[in-house]
Amino acid sequence: MLTQYSFYLTTILVYGAVDAMACMALNVEFGFAGISNFGFIIFQSAGAYTAAILSMPRAASSNGGFQQYVLGWNLAWPLPWIGAAIVGGLLALPFVFLVGKRLRGDFAAVGLLVSAVLLNVLVKDYVPFLNGSAGISIVPAPLQSFWNPQGLAYQFAYGGVAIVLAIGVYFLIRRVTESPYGRSLRAMRDNDIVADSLGKDLRLQRTSMLVLGGAIAALSGAILVGFINLWAPGAWGYAETIVLFAAIIVGGAGNHKGAILGAILVPLSFEEITRFIPPLSNPALVPALQWVAIGLLIILFLWFRPDGILPERRRILSNRSGVAPVETVVEGQSDALIKLGNVDELNFRELLRLGEVTNDHRVILSTKGLTKSFNGVTVVSDVSIEVRQGRLTGMIGPNGAGKSTTLAMLAGTLASTSGQVFFEGADITSVSSHKRAQLGLVRTFQLASEFKKLTVLENLVSAIPRQPGDSFWGSMRGRRYWGAEDEANIERAEEILEGFGLTQYADTYAGALSGGQRRLVEIMRALLAQPKVLLLDEPMAGVHPNLAHKIGDQLTKMCDNGMTVLMVEHELSLMDAFCDPVIVLAEGQVLAEGTMAELRKRPEVVEAYLVG
Amino acid sequence: MSSFGFGLVTAAVLALATVGFTMQFAVTNVLNLAYGSVMINSAFVTYYLNIHGVPTWVALFGGVATGAIASWLLNQFVFTPFQRRNRPPITIVIVALGVDLVGTFGLQAIVGGSYVSFRQSPGHEYHFLGMFFSGLQLVILGIAVVVLGIIHWLLRYTRLGKAMRATSANPSLARNSGVKTKTIISTTWLISGALCGLAGTVFALNTGVFEATSAQLYIVLLLAAMFLGGPGEPYGAMFGALVIGLSTEISAAYVNPQYKEVIAFVALLGMLTFRPYGIFGSEKTL
Repeated sequence: MLTQYSFYLTTILVYGAVDAMACMALNVEFGFAGISNFGFIIFQSAGAYTAAILSMPRAASSNGGFQQYVLGWNLAWPLPWIGAAIVGGLLALPFVFLVGKRLRGDFAAVGLLVSAVLLNVLVKDYVPFLNGSAGISIVPAPLQSFWNPQGLAYQFAYGGVAIVLAIGVYFLIRRVTESPYGRSLRAMRDNDIVADSLGKDLRLQRTSMLVLGGAIAALSGAILVGFINLWAPGAWGYAETIVLFAAIIVGGAGNHKGAILGAILVPLSFEEITRFIPPLSNPALVPALQWVAIGLLIILFLWFRPDGILPERRRILSNRSGVAPVETVVEGQSDALIKLGNVDELNFRELLRLGEVTNDHRVILSTKGLTKSFNGVTVVSDVSIEVRQGRLTGMIGPNGAGKSTTLAMLAGTLASTSGQVFFEGADITSVSSHKRAQLGLVRTFQLASEFKKLTVLENLVSAIPRQPGDSFWGSMRGRRYWGAEDEANIERAEEILEGFGLTQYADTYAGALSGGQRRLVEIMRALLAQPKVLLLDEPMAGVHPNLAHKIGDQLTKMCDNGMTVLMVEHELSLMDAFCDPVIVLAEGQVLAEGTMAELRKRPEVVEAYLVG
Repeated sequence: MSSFGFGLVTAAVLALATVGFTMQFAVTNVLNLAYGSVMINSAFVTYYLNIHGVPTWVALFGGVATGAIASWLLNQFVFTPFQRRNRPPITIVIVALGVDLVGTFGLQAIVGGSYVSFRQSPGHEYHFLGMFFSGLQLVILGIAVVVLGIIHWLLRYTRLGKAMRATSANPSLARNSGVKTKTIISTTWLISGALCGLAGTVFALNTGVFEATSAQLYIVLLLAAMFLGGPGEPYGAMFGALVIGLSTEISAAYVNPQYKEVIAFVALLGMLTFRPYGIFGSEKTL
């Protein structure tokens, strides 16, 4: 009796470890990087198949040839498991095209779902590859020629190894997610286009996480197949991925412990509880109700507790003592009361790493014949402009004049239909947007663009370029490698935050701020991206006029220190006060250029825009 | 040539289904992955009416009504509340997958896992142009032509259709121009739901035998047809359905029939990769 329970316990250990690994891997992809990998199960399955056929003898020579499969290399443990992890990682590469930066997240998810269904159909129907729908059986247990797999000691050792590997995975992915790189991943999850505009390479980040998640998933499959000794297409229908999603939604997306909890509550419990239900007259009833329960769990949790049982942890970065983190801010709290702090004392040259730039007012950014059409409608037509270094250039024009479109083409957010963009003398027309940001051409957005589930301080720090810990391998080298510089970066961000008077919100989620405060955060964040040229798209919209003028003063000061600004803005008093020169766009074309005083004298400009 | 005939029938069923699916996407931006489960539930309502003595073509209306009501409820009490909370599209897709599980396996729990079929003889065989059709298939083709004709008329020549197209193109602009978008969205879900119910029933009729999970993978064909024609485009959906329906059946005649759906998968993945806005569309339509 006791041994029977012991065997049962080892089964739970192995399944628990496998489910936990799978959920942690999916959580890294979904909860941290924001990739809805609806095809996740194929990675686990690829690992199981790989481990199986690497450890099995050649198909023809074994078991009377009753099953067919490729390879059959007869490798000793742990080589099949290592091979499985490698194959799982490599399998992610073909999906890069789906999760690339342009495709809508839900479309990419559908593509992954369909891929999972397709691969299942192919494996099922093409028998010579992996023995078709019958699946592969009599997979050797690791080290079975030395140690009887049926023995209790072996079983416990197996469970122990599985648990140790799961714990290893936990520490591995924590190393990734609790680093500056993890911050970039969450920024991408919250708003990918903005992360891109700050210089994050979305494609690389997503690929890396798919490879990492795929390798872990495959390892979990390898552990499972070594224990149950068979693997068949029935075990990895696309719906199995939904079970894992349910686990993460229940446990808490973006929280590793939540993923583990979800693994215990959903796949493991569902599997185990049904073992104790007595057989019914309708054998399909229990599995059917199981699926209904999974579906209901997803819907109810997403409605009543969308952050799961263990919600994502808020990361407290602030070092300034005596600052109580403000939990929530009432929307619309009077922005008129926002006061800039000691901003006049900030040394922008030092803080923004502007370096020893002397303003020579050379042309730093220019376009030649820039044109954009959608569906045959030309929105921007043949725009050629020049932006001079150290100047605060304004851009005005009526609604629909093509200002934002022009700005987007300068930053690379939109590809131009024709024409060229030059930055610091080089043609950057075909340079991607995140590379332009890395070169020092940084934009802000007209619509709210904060990373909602990052704190204010995280929003700021995430924008700082060239952080040692802001790459996969950098994060792998650990805090000892990147910790000191990260502290310095946080210090810098706090300094600028104090300057703009928002220190008390340092550890507040940016999504909880009022509109005006969010504007300030976006401007500060763009500054910390260390732009040579800053492209501002209506930065003062929704900002109290007093505050707007204070910000304008600071922008002027930054320009004096060697930065260049191109600002699209409707508020003409700001143009009068700060911008020289000002470019007027109308109907997608450059109408005029000059100081505001000059423009007010030009009848065509007055007619197009300045009337009233 | 006979596979061309089969393909036409498959395409007709698929067109009915895809037009409904793409209309839902057009007005609410929801990829309703629970569509297949509504289809099969509608088919089962028709089936139960049928085995209780109601002639198939009358029972069909029960299936249509089921589809319409279920889809309306789904939008009203699941998708709209989630959207009102500003949940991202991906959350709605996950919710839709959850609904699909509840719908499909809830049905299976009730009706059991065995295959059933209608009390409906396939009728005479008719031969022309080298193709042959059963009477049943001809009726399905006829239904599809008439119903899609009505949809065309509705979209092109009625105020309702105009309002639908306006809502699909730009909901807030439509609302500001006096279109009652809420009513339009509800109506669209009723109409598309009716199409879904109809498609589910004729799908089951055409298949012959079916069970609760028979429509589970149909969503792949739907998605392939929709993305070929451009998401949210009813005419694109008809075109996509024709291409997918014909190519799956014709390829089945020349390669292993087990792989006949592979062409739909490949088409879908190709479209998502290279032209997610459809063959005729351009990026702005998304």
